[in-house]
Amino acid sequence: MIQNLKRYGTLMGFGFIVLFFWANLPETFMTARNWLNISQQVSMLAVIAFTMTIVMVMGDFDLSVGSMASLSGITAALLFAHGYPVAVGLLAGLAVGVVGGLFNGFLVSLVGILPFVATLGTLTMYSGIAFLVSDGKTIFGRDIPRDFSGIARSGLEIPALEITVPFLTILALGVLLLVWFLLEHTAFGRRLYAIGGNYEAARLAGVKVRRLRLIAFGLTGLGAALGGLMLASRVASANPTQGSGLMLDAIAAVFLGMTMSREGEPRVLATLVGVLILGLLDNGLTQMNVDSFVREILVGAIILAAVAISSLGKR
Amino acid sequence: MKLATKLAGLLAGAMLATGLAGAAMAQSKVVVITPYLAQPGTQFYVEGFSAAAQSNGWDLNVIDTAGDVAAVISRLEDAVNQNVDAIVINVDPAQVEAGLEVARDAGIPVVGMDSGTSPYLATNVTSNGYAMAVETSVYVADRIGGTGNVVMFVFDAFPPVQIRGVIADAVFGNYPDIAVLDRVTPDVSDGGIADSRAKMEAILAANPEPGSIAAVWAAWDQPALGALQAIEDAGRDNEGIVIVGIDANPQARDAIAAGGNFEASVAQDFVGIGNKTAEMVARLLAGETVKENVVYVPTMLITAANAAQ
Repeated sequence: MIQNLKRYGTLMGFGFIVLFFWANLPETFMTARNWLNISQQVSMLAVIAFTMTIVMVMGDFDLSVGSMASLSGITAALLFAHGYPVAVGLLAGLAVGVVGGLFNGFLVSLVGILPFVATLGTLTMYSGIAFLVSDGKTIFGRDIPRDFSGIARSGLEIPALEITVPFLTILALGVLLLVWFLLEHTAFGRRLYAIGGNYEAARLAGVKVRRLRLIAFGLTGLGAALGGLMLASRVASANPTQGSGLMLDAIAAVFLGMTMSREGEPRVLATLVGVLILGLLDNGLTQMNVDSFVREILVGAIILAAVAISSLGKR
Repeated sequence: MKLATKLAGLLAGAMLATGLAGAAMAQSKVVVITPYLAQPGTQFYVEGFSAAAQSNGWDLNVIDTAGDVAAVISRLEDAVNQNVDAIVINVDPAQVEAGLEVARDAGIPVVGMDSGTSPYLATNVTSNGYAMAVETSVYVADRIGGTGNVVMFVFDAFPPVQIRGVIADAVFGNYPDIAVLDRVTPDVSDGGIADSRAKMEAILAANPEPGSIAAVWAAWDQPALGALQAIEDAGRDNEGIVIVGIDANPQARDAIAAGGNFEASVAQDFVGIGNKTAEMVARLLAGETVKENVVYVPTMLITAANAAQ
């Protein structure tokens, strides 16, 4: 009984949240349109949380994802403002993410700084660079091409079901699939889990720990940049702080997911449940006219409850 | 007996009226979405709006996204999905167009509460920047009797402030005996006070004769405060130099109330903007088409007489 509660507590909580909103909002909650809305609303957080899972598998952290998201958005927007085509802006934004991520990896794996400290430092650095290159201003309006903001407004029409699946949703699902495959079905992924399980043992067993960590941080940076570009497209603008809220939510989502696995290690599909819990609360509580401050309290309480339940009987 | 019948009739009438109004309006769901609820100005807007919403009997939901502009889009989508009757936003509409488009497709009117104009908004309620500059520049011209040298602090790179400078140029230009001594654009990266003070110190040094500077007109309060500090520190606060600002922020109100050289500023009526926004929403809910894409709420000149209010 306790074993089941521990393992499935978070999933049951998720089910309870869905049923609760369904019962309270019978007309609007359980509709295809609302779920497509939710999927689009969480897509940016999802991409960042999925790729955050990659470093958290090794027991590491990346606190810089939020400012990296801002920086990549700013980079792309600045290039647009100078007349470069959309593709160039997107590639440059992603490249900034890879470089920034690899720099995190360099600090953590080669220099040997604790991830918490290293990425706290780069969080501040990347945010400073974003302010510097943008002069602290928001880039919007005519500087942002329609083709770019259009990405977030387009979707795949499915006439048979009379729905349009937002492009951002498709993008997030694509990233989910890639990360899932990488972590669960490649040697690379298994080795990351080995590092997370026991760093020394993995190293002694011949796992190229340093290189793997470097690559893993690079991928997290890439994901952060992609999330930042999606965000910039959605708000049709870029400012040097717009991604900062995503970091804590991404870590919260991974933590919520971690409570669902037997060993307490991050699984990307479980991260998805974590992301959905956060997104559902936003969406449902808004529709129920609940004060937005209450949502903050609830999210914190749910994370604590989930972690508490999953550690039942551990002592 | 007659009185009693009358009273009963009145009472019944009143009940009927409120009942009818209640029936017509009670279902009206109105959502206010803003990332800026933590800022004092926004709190006053919402206060004014909430009061009006309550007397209209609306089902009001105020959503704060804590600085997150992207979340405003999400909440717009939620509100549309929830099928609300009207939405009010207090955020730059250009940044939330993705959500405004969803509302427009659903036929739900969106009103801006000091948010900027946009084809997606039924209307935007705000203060008139031109009118604010009229108040202070005419105040200066009157106080110095239409004669003397004026130092202007402007900021043409920021459109809402640029329009203030244009008006002051026109007013001062219309007085043959008023000369604009300098038109300064301060560096605002430090908040605007410190650099304005340095610029003003230089101007004071260049014009040492008492009476050579009649007034300082600032397009917002920070340069006015900087100029005040420079004038006081140079010991020239008894020359009767008149300083005016715009916005009437708390620091400016303090300085004005103290009765020194800083004599006037202009305050936006934040609560009034909230009230007026509710009025526009009520008109839209009643099925009226609103022609004006901007609605201006009068501002108020703040002097020592009312600075403490």
